[in-house]
Amino acid sequence: MPLKDPSSVSFQSSPTRRLVLASYWVLILLAVPLWWQTTSIERLALPTARPALPLRFPVDVHLSGVSLHEIDELQQELRIWDGVDVKLHSGEGKNEFGSYTVTIDPTTSPAIHGRRLSLPDATNLAPILKSLLGPPADEGRAVGYAPRVRLAFTLLNEDAAAGGGVLGWDVRQAIEQTLASTLTTLRTLHNFTIESQVQFHAPLAFVPSPLPSLSEDETAPAWGLTREDLTVFVNSAEWTLSSSATNDPVLNFVLFVPAAERRPLYILDADGFPTPSTAFLLPQWGGIVLLNPASSLPSHLTAPDLAPIMTAFRQQLLLLLGVPALPATTHNVLADTLTGWQTDALTRLRARQNAQNARATLGSIVSLVSQIGNMPVGRGVRADVRGALGALEGIATATAQNGVDILKKSTEALTLSARAFFAPGMLGLLYFPAEHTAAVYTPLFASVAVPLVAAVVREGRLWRAERRGTA
Amino acid sequence: MLSQWTRHLNHALWLTTVSNAALVHREEFHEDLVLRPLPDGRVSSKFTFTTLLRDATPRNPESLAVEDDSQHYTLFPLALGQVLREYAITEMHLTLNAGKWNYDRWGYPDEPGVGSGAELWAWMGDGGPATVDYRWQGLRNALAGLFCASLGSLDELRTTSPTLAFEPEGTLPNWTQPHQLRHASLPSEHVCTENLTPFLKLLPCKSLSGVASLLNPHRLFDADWHGMGVHVSYDREDGVKVRLTFQTVFDPVRTSLNNRRDWSFASLFDRKVEQLCPVAETSRVRLALPEVQSYLLAPEYTIQDNYALFDMAASSQAFQVSMDWPQEPKFQYRTSSNYDDASIVPLSVQRTLRGSSQARGELSVTVTNHEAVEIQSVYLETMPWLLQFYLHTLRISHNGESRGDLISNISYVPPVPHARPTTLQCIITIPPKSTIKLTIDVSKSFLRYTEHPPDAQRGWDLPPAVFVPFKTDHNRTLLGTTRYQRIYTPTLLADLATPDFSMPYNVIILSCTLITLIFGSLFNILTRKFVVVNMDPPREVAETQ
Repeated sequence: MPLKDPSSVSFQSSPTRRLVLASYWVLILLAVPLWWQTTSIERLALPTARPALPLRFPVDVHLSGVSLHEIDELQQELRIWDGVDVKLHSGEGKNEFGSYTVTIDPTTSPAIHGRRLSLPDATNLAPILKSLLGPPADEGRAVGYAPRVRLAFTLLNEDAAAGGGVLGWDVRQAIEQTLASTLTTLRTLHNFTIESQVQFHAPLAFVPSPLPSLSEDETAPAWGLTREDLTVFVNSAEWTLSSSATNDPVLNFVLFVPAAERRPLYILDADGFPTPSTAFLLPQWGGIVLLNPASSLPSHLTAPDLAPIMTAFRQQLLLLLGVPALPATTHNVLADTLTGWQTDALTRLRARQNAQNARATLGSIVSLVSQIGNMPVGRGVRADVRGALGALEGIATATAQNGVDILKKSTEALTLSARAFFAPGMLGLLYFPAEHTAAVYTPLFASVAVPLVAAVVREGRLWRAERRGTA
Repeated sequence: MLSQWTRHLNHALWLTTVSNAALVHREEFHEDLVLRPLPDGRVSSKFTFTTLLRDATPRNPESLAVEDDSQHYTLFPLALGQVLREYAITEMHLTLNAGKWNYDRWGYPDEPGVGSGAELWAWMGDGGPATVDYRWQGLRNALAGLFCASLGSLDELRTTSPTLAFEPEGTLPNWTQPHQLRHASLPSEHVCTENLTPFLKLLPCKSLSGVASLLNPHRLFDADWHGMGVHVSYDREDGVKVRLTFQTVFDPVRTSLNNRRDWSFASLFDRKVEQLCPVAETSRVRLALPEVQSYLLAPEYTIQDNYALFDMAASSQAFQVSMDWPQEPKFQYRTSSNYDDASIVPLSVQRTLRGSSQARGELSVTVTNHEAVEIQSVYLETMPWLLQFYLHTLRISHNGESRGDLISNISYVPPVPHARPTTLQCIITIPPKSTIKLTIDVSKSFLRYTEHPPDAQRGWDLPPAVFVPFKTDHNRTLLGTTRYQRIYTPTLLADLATPDFSMPYNVIILSCTLITLIFGSLFNILTRKFVVVNMDPPREVAETQ
């Protein structure tokens, strides 16, 4: 039987075979975009143009009792600094955010009432105005801004079981009498949650250093806390001060009653001598007041007993919240409250800090995303970044007269940028290394690719040989 | 001396707090230790620390939208108070236990919540801006953080609402919306020192003075059974009550050199009460007196309702209780049949999961009534979805014959795979002095690769079943107050089909090989060039040459 020539079979012709081969390759090339799309990480583009909007607050100061010439001179001196844009007028201010009145009257003493400053003469007016309108930011001591702050008052007995402890306090009344008015004036900036507790066993993590007796009676011992002791004073392992109910920042105010055998307890200065002060501040954490109860003191502290302690807590609270102090030459007429100059200056300061922090956070997000190639960026992150940018732009367009609005916008920008930065979705595939991808793909792709490539090479050779043969 | 001083302080505290009653809730702190010698030579101890917030009410969830009052506490634990206010919890019970409570030998526990592992249940008012489930989740997470326990995994896969078995301990306030129950248990959670430390921090005197100074973790966690509990309830007369409990069962025979069951605080806890807690209104130490009279108790005590009552303040030195059995040279264990005859609880329950297959099995429950009267009981199974009941196979038999009339009021919430657990609640009737047997077929689920725990080969712990016996009259109507305590069965271990966890990569390799093989042969057939090779002509050439 004569053998049929294989090249006469339809599918054995060279063009058909090449067509088959080509269709394989076309299919693979067409599948590549699909494969790429289904396996790549979602990385939405983030707006990268950084808004460099300077936050500027226009401030109107109305002066009375000063000649127009003097006002012009003052205006030359007070122009713009720290984002405050001062305009001086004559006449009466409106007593609202960014509008103040200064009265020069030789018959008065230097005093501040609300947004009104009275001075006997105008000699020191420029430096006083400067420190009232744009006080230097107190970095380090104050806590970061948060719309809600928890104030936790704690009465700590080092050892009440050994006797002489303070077993109760009328903290609610004391807060109402001493702190309430201060807190009310700060309400535009912060919402406060107040809580208090008493602990009967709060041991220190160290033993205070014994002091040589101060009094005539050599047997009466005394104890002292050195500077180093103050830094490790809080024994967080044994004292239950913090709680896990919310994420708001907590400011702790601790009234510490030393154990009966460790009394009196003093704070020592650098040379090791006792200081008259009984209170100290731990930056960004809270304040501590030591109480060495006299033997006559009852075991329950009433509101009048607590008044001096609450005054100390109030000072510490103002420092921790970053409330600027008044210039030394002036005083507040309503001693329990804060002046409008102070709250306004703090509002401006906080708004500026928030905007700055939000901008820095947004910058970090963008640089982080560009640095780490396989970090996913989802819709939530993009929406937050856009929202933060929108809020930042909103500050610039907002009516600058309303400080509360600006603060709210800047807080919103800060919150949104922080939420974008800590979005859990961004960690998704961060730790899925390239080796794993290769390990999954190699068994399939390598073994498929070998015959495909080999077939192309073979066909190429054949085709060249054919051409040479025909030529 | 010490006692006088404490009394004086308490008096001062009482006076001053009364004067501010309009603003501050009066707070009380009571501590109580109950010791109970058990028939098998063991000693159970139960510490109870009760803090009362007089005239306080739980937070109404409707008020979650508005700012809460500031919280000022003297004795009440602030960390717990914050959690309760934040999530508007009316009643809450958290227990963390290790070991199996042996009802037949030890009788009823002083504190009913003795199911192995973690159990959390809470009654919460409905309404307000946050849903009950959202607040339940918040409560779980907050308590997990507070007590360093994995309560976060008590998620909706384990949350049920079995209202028959878990009635509120206190009263529920009359709010516009009804209250809802959430219950979840995690039998594989174990209690240890990291849970006790935050527990002690909630006590006003920590573990430094008062009865709480006996809580020595080295000894407590060496006990045969130990468990802690946090119970919050509300009562119209008393206000909000927080009850912190710690319960243990020690075995003095095990630790003694010559097999005697004598014990003292020093031998059980390795501690004595050195000083009193200055703020405790009452500090009681009580001992349940055994029927046998051959013991010696120290120090002096007064008898009240079959309990020996000790006065801690009377002793001038460190306080400790000791109990000796001088007429017993060696403790004689009873044989197991002795226990069966004189069981101390009305019901004995045995629950087993039978069947060797990883796909099917049979849950079998045997309940024995030791009383001479008929007992009815609530029977509750809360099962994670990985075990599914075939309800039509539920059989109940008495003396070998099937008795469908013994089971009634069945309520069944079927599981939703990967989403919701099963709840099976029913009322069973056990005839006097007899045993009934309940069986139901179960199927075990095939889990997803990621649903397996890290120690997948160990199996899955299944939560205990709960029985709440109650006595009825002849017409089978509930007699109001004759409800017994809850009885927890031991937990079960289910063996589920577990994959070989290196499998995904093997599967990838295998399927890749298969695809390559098919692809290769197909591709070869399609692109191979067939050529005829004629072998004859060269031979002819050779021949012609």
